[in-house]
This record gives sequence, structure tokens and C-alpha cells, in this order.
Amino acid sequence: MTAPAAFREQLLGAIPRLRRYARSLVFDTSAADDIVQSALERALVHWRQFDPRRDLVLWLLAIAHNAWLDALRRDRHLDVIAPERLTEAMDRERSHEPDVGLQIDLVAALARLTPDQRSAMMLVAVEQLSYAEAAEVLQVPEGTVMSRVSRARAALRAWLDGSGSRAAGRPGLRRVV
Amino acid sequence: MSQTDHPDFTDTDLSAWLDGELDVDNHSRVDSILRDRPEAAARLRLLAADRDALRARLEGVLTEPVPERLLSAVRRQRSEGPWLRAAAVAGLLVLGGVAGSALTWQWQGRQLVTAQAGTPAGWVQRAVYAHSVFTPEPRHPVEVRAQEEHLARWLTRRTDLPVKLFDLRDEGFDLMGGRLLPDAGGKSAQLMYENAQTKERVTVYLRKPDVDAPTTFRYVRQGDLGLFYWVEPGIGCALVGALPKERLLALAQSVYKQHEQAEAAGTAPPR
Repeated sequence: MTAPAAFREQLLGAIPRLRRYARSLVFDTSAADDIVQSALERALVHWRQFDPRRDLVLWLLAIAHNAWLDALRRDRHLDVIAPERLTEAMDRERSHEPDVGLQIDLVAALARLTPDQRSAMMLVAVEQLSYAEAAEVLQVPEGTVMSRVSRARAALRAWLDGSGSRAAGRPGLRRVV
Repeated sequence: MSQTDHPDFTDTDLSAWLDGELDVDNHSRVDSILRDRPEAAARLRLLAADRDALRARLEGVLTEPVPERLLSAVRRQRSEGPWLRAAAVAGLLVLGGVAGSALTWQWQGRQLVTAQAGTPAGWVQRAVYAHSVFTPEPRHPVEVRAQEEHLARWLTRRTDLPVKLFDLRDEGFDLMGGRLLPDAGGKSAQLMYENAQTKERVTVYLRKPDVDAPTTFRYVRQGDLGLFYWVEPGIGCALVGALPKERLLALAQSVYKQHEQAEAAGTAPPR
């Protein structure tokens, strides 16, 4: 049996949130939407597993998160941008967003976070989930969320502090944190 | 700044404070550190600024149009077989009466050729968004006013579509003007009409169809808004308005007929 119409309507309403979370994880819009699409498809197949007393967005974020992890396993390029592609990725960002200075550096800095750090930080800082909610999405203890968020912020800040001396084209942009 | 420089507070303290996740005791402990230690307060401001920058960078995603493929991922699982489309066509027959039936049969005939007609496509959603965004505008509902005779030429040139300024005065609607809009595959045009008495506004959204797009004539309702949309060779058209279905249908038929006549007479600009 296919998912009921009311469930689909809620799913449609959640798409912008899912897209934002996916975009916070991967640079490329179409790769991010692949993750969202995969999450939506999974949600439709498993709609019966959703407990209507719970928060649908949290449930969907968890599914999207797993879809992202699967995509990472398939393609390691999704999380970390290879040095030779960084300039291109940054140009792309620049072309459709107002250049607010920091934002360009952010792209470079985010590429250096581990997937665990990045996802925890985005759920808390951008999706504005509580640590308890993020823990539910990530399936880890709250204390783990707290330390991941903190380490992610420190790593981001360290990169931004030093980015003036590190030219964008400089090789060796793989993870150092 | 590394955490070892400050044995009495850590980045985790600041980060959790920022997120409002400290218990009461730790929260007041960090409060007093922030009060007494300028470097802690400075550090916190940086972390807060980074958080705000992240939010700002991603905020726009929430209001981007949702890509068609995501909408249809949710909708296509719906068990919407040919019977539903047949029912829709039957509904049109009843509503449209004799005048409508000839048209409907044409449409139905086309549907038979492309029976896999999909669920409301992303462009239809864009037509609805465009309607909702621009019709409430009191001062600038349109980009180019109807009185400016270059409207049709301008839209035709910019969209590469045979834009005809449909005359809906028999149905009580005057053309206000039009505007150019972004569409997935390029540009689209919106024409806006207003009923002088009731101040109701309807829009006609025109776009170049996707390659091998199914040719359908469909009706959907989204809240107050109803829309008829169809795709013909060379043009996709959606009529949107907060009107009862019968009144929308009359307008849709008028648009359809005028487009056909223009095509037949060869008055529509070449594609």
C-alpha cells in the first residue's frame, strides 16, 4: 500500500528543510538533491515506521543523514573537495550567492571538517536542533553531539583565523583536523 | 587560541553555552567567565558569528523553488492510474458542456497518445508560486503594462515562445500586463488579467515544454487556487486563479481556443 495523501503533503512541506540540511553537507546542489530524493523515496517506502506522535522533520533528517552516509561510502568526493576542485566549487558558490566575504572562506573551511563534525554542527547551528534532537538524528549520545559540535566550531574557526595566509589554490586541502 | 591556554574554560563550554545546552550551574559559571574574561567573550563572539554566517549562507535554500524531480518523487508513488485522468476528462465534459466537449475530445485524443501523463509537474508549481507572489502586488503586479504594445513582442523575443496576448474580456477579465520569469529550462512568461468589478486576478503562465513532455489537460486545486494546465507542441500553459472551477474552465477554454486560432492562422510568431 502506498503512503497516504496526508503523509505525502507533510513530506512535501518538509522538502525545503531537507534540502537545506543536505546542502549543508555537500557542496553540489544536484548531489545534495540526490540525497534528498533518496531520503524521500525511503520515507515513502517505510512510511509505516513513522510514529505520528513524533516529529516528522526529525525522522526525515535522520533518513537524509543516513542517505548521505551511504552516498559518502559510495563516493568519497562528497564530503571532502579535492584541492583541484576547490576553486571551481568556490566559484560556483560565488556565482549564485552574494559574496559576503566570510562565506567564501566558509566553503573552504567546511570542506576540512570530518563528516561527523560537520553534520553535528549543521544540525545544531543551522537546523537549530537541541543536542537531544541532534543525538536522535545521528543516533549517538548527547555528549557526543556536544563534543562534535564544539570540535567542529573550533576547527572552522582555526581555519578562518588562518585563511588569510593560506591561498585558496594551495594544495593539501584535505582534512587536517 | 587553544583550549590549554585557558584551563578554566573550554571551547566546549562556550559552544554549549551558545547553544543554550548547559545546566543551570554551568551556565552561570560560564556567564561569570564571560563577564570577567574579555578573551572568552571575544571567542564567543567569533563562534556566534560563525554560526550566523552558516545560517545566512544556507537560509536561501528554504525559499528556493523545489526541483521538479523531488516533487514528483513524492507524488509519483500515488496510485494515480489512467482512470483518474479519464475521470478528470469526464468532469470537464460535464462542466464544459457542448462548447467544451469538442475541445475536451481533442485533449483526450492527445492524452491517449501519451498516456503516461505525470502528476503536477514542477513548472506547474512555479506557475502557482508566480501567481501567489505577483497577484497581490498593488503597485507593480506586472513588469510591462498591457498598454505598451511591445509586450507580446518583448515576451516572445525573450522567451522564444509564441506569446499571444489572449483576450479574455468576454469572460470579464482585462489584460493588465506581463512579466518575464525564470523557469527550469529557461524563461517563462506570465500574463495577468483582472476583473474590473470584482478585482479578481488570474494569471496565464507560458513556458517552453520539456522535450517529450506529455500532452495533457489537467485541473488541480491548491487551497484557494485552482489551475488548469496543458501542454501543446511548443508551449505549456497554466491558468491560475482563485476562482471556482467552472469559471476557470471558461477562461482556460478561451485561452486554448485563441492559441489554436493563432496557430492555425499563422499569426503566432515563428518558434
